Amino acid sequence: MDTKAPSLLNAVPPYGHVIASEKWRNSSLIQSLKCGGVKTLFENELGVADFHLPNKSCILYVSECDIIAGNGYKRKLVRYRNSSSSFQELVLVENTRLSEQYFSAVQKFVVLDLGLTLLPVSGQTEASQLISQMVDGEGRENPFRSRSSSLLLDPLVLALVQHVPGVGRVKALALLQHFSSIHQLCNAAPDQLEHIVGQAAAQQIHSFFHKPTAAGS
Amino acid sequence: TSSSVSEPPAASGPVCILVDSRCLSGAVELMTSLRQRHAATIHVCSLDGSYFIVSNRTAVERHSQSDLAAMQNRKRLADKVNSLQRLFERVCLIVEKDRTKAGEAARPFQRTRYYDSTLTALVRTGVRLLWSDGSEQSAGLLADLARLEQRKGQGIAVPLEVKGPHRQQALQLYLSLPSVNYVHALSMSHNFSSIAQLINGSIEAIQKGGCMSRSRAEEIYRFLRYSCDSFLMNTSKSKNS
Repeated sequence: MDTKAPSLLNAVPPYGHVIASEKWRNSSLIQSLKCGGVKTLFENELGVADFHLPNKSCILYVSECDIIAGNGYKRKLVRYRNSSSSFQELVLVENTRLSEQYFSAVQKFVVLDLGLTLLPVSGQTEASQLISQMVDGEGRENPFRSRSSSLLLDPLVLALVQHVPGVGRVKALALLQHFSSIHQLCNAAPDQLEHIVGQAAAQQIHSFFHKPTAAGS
Repeated sequence: TSSSVSEPPAASGPVCILVDSRCLSGAVELMTSLRQRHAATIHVCSLDGSYFIVSNRTAVERHSQSDLAAMQNRKRLADKVNSLQRLFERVCLIVEKDRTKAGEAARPFQRTRYYDSTLTALVRTGVRLLWSDGSEQSAGLLADLARLEQRKGQGIAVPLEVKGPHRQQALQLYLSLPSVNYVHALSMSHNFSSIAQLINGSIEAIQKGGCMSRSRAEEIYRFLRYSCDSFLMNTSKSKNS
């Protein structure tokens, strides 16, 4: 068994570099990456992947040719998906005038069947621009990364209690001063609620929580 | 308490898709196609943003390519994606080719660095991208996603309508729970015999009745028992000062 391959499956290039499979050495994609200031390291043992990027993602490139030639690329995609790499696995698909009729079938296979991420490109130039962007963007803050917003729960509890019919902000605050959680409030007996909001409201609140909702219970 | 919980969803039958009422304008073609070509059951409701729900855990947004390429949209898009990621385990984005007006030649989309960086950032946050030529194809993708989720046992299996004022009020209350999406709330209003049954329910019961993940059920369980004295003390203080 080849003992070298597994370590290279998870080889992360240094910042500003990509690792490319040897077969890309004289390609226009590598040429334009170079123009974009991205340095390339070549490697023979990348497995199925074509590129490794510093942000721990890898790329499999499906060309117009692969798509038109038939189903061989599908086997490659399955092997790519099954390779036990810890990288985020991306698939670049050439969507051109010749291959566009197959695109939706390719997408179905890549995204829906295999659960991989597909990014269409018109050819190697667009692919190199996209790859450069991935390499450059690595250090930058991701605007879509959810800011760890520790939601203040108090206002949410207060808002929920106001969904009880007949309970506005004032009554809700009064109730929560005596029963500080929704759980406690729900399990308070009507006579415990009575001295806070009056008899009628106390009955109404209690019955709101306990009245049947589902039909088939 | 599990007697009132509905059976796991059937693996076949028409798929259900919930649609926000704000999606409707400009989506006649898409809706027609979903109903007629894909035999999907569509329920229009008022969600907190203009998106589709195709399963218990998956929301789908639809954007035009130029929408994603426009710099001024990024803040809004980021807010939307962030809020959906709080409510759903999976967030998909259908990127649709821009429509060409009748008589106008189709202009090829000019790909910019900015556009590429938006795509890269979305992919890094785990948003699933799907590519579409237009409404017809988008409808197909929505139906495919819903069917796939149904096969995985995540399809929307509870009745889409909630009848009667009390159950409507219960639904609104469930929607005000943190991290609860419309399908969770819908499932709760059908699966719990009363609001008290949810509030007193175990984590397991909440998970099952709400058709949700364990961690979400834990969050709700904690929220229902969260004691909010500090806040009340602060508000009464600020009133006195």
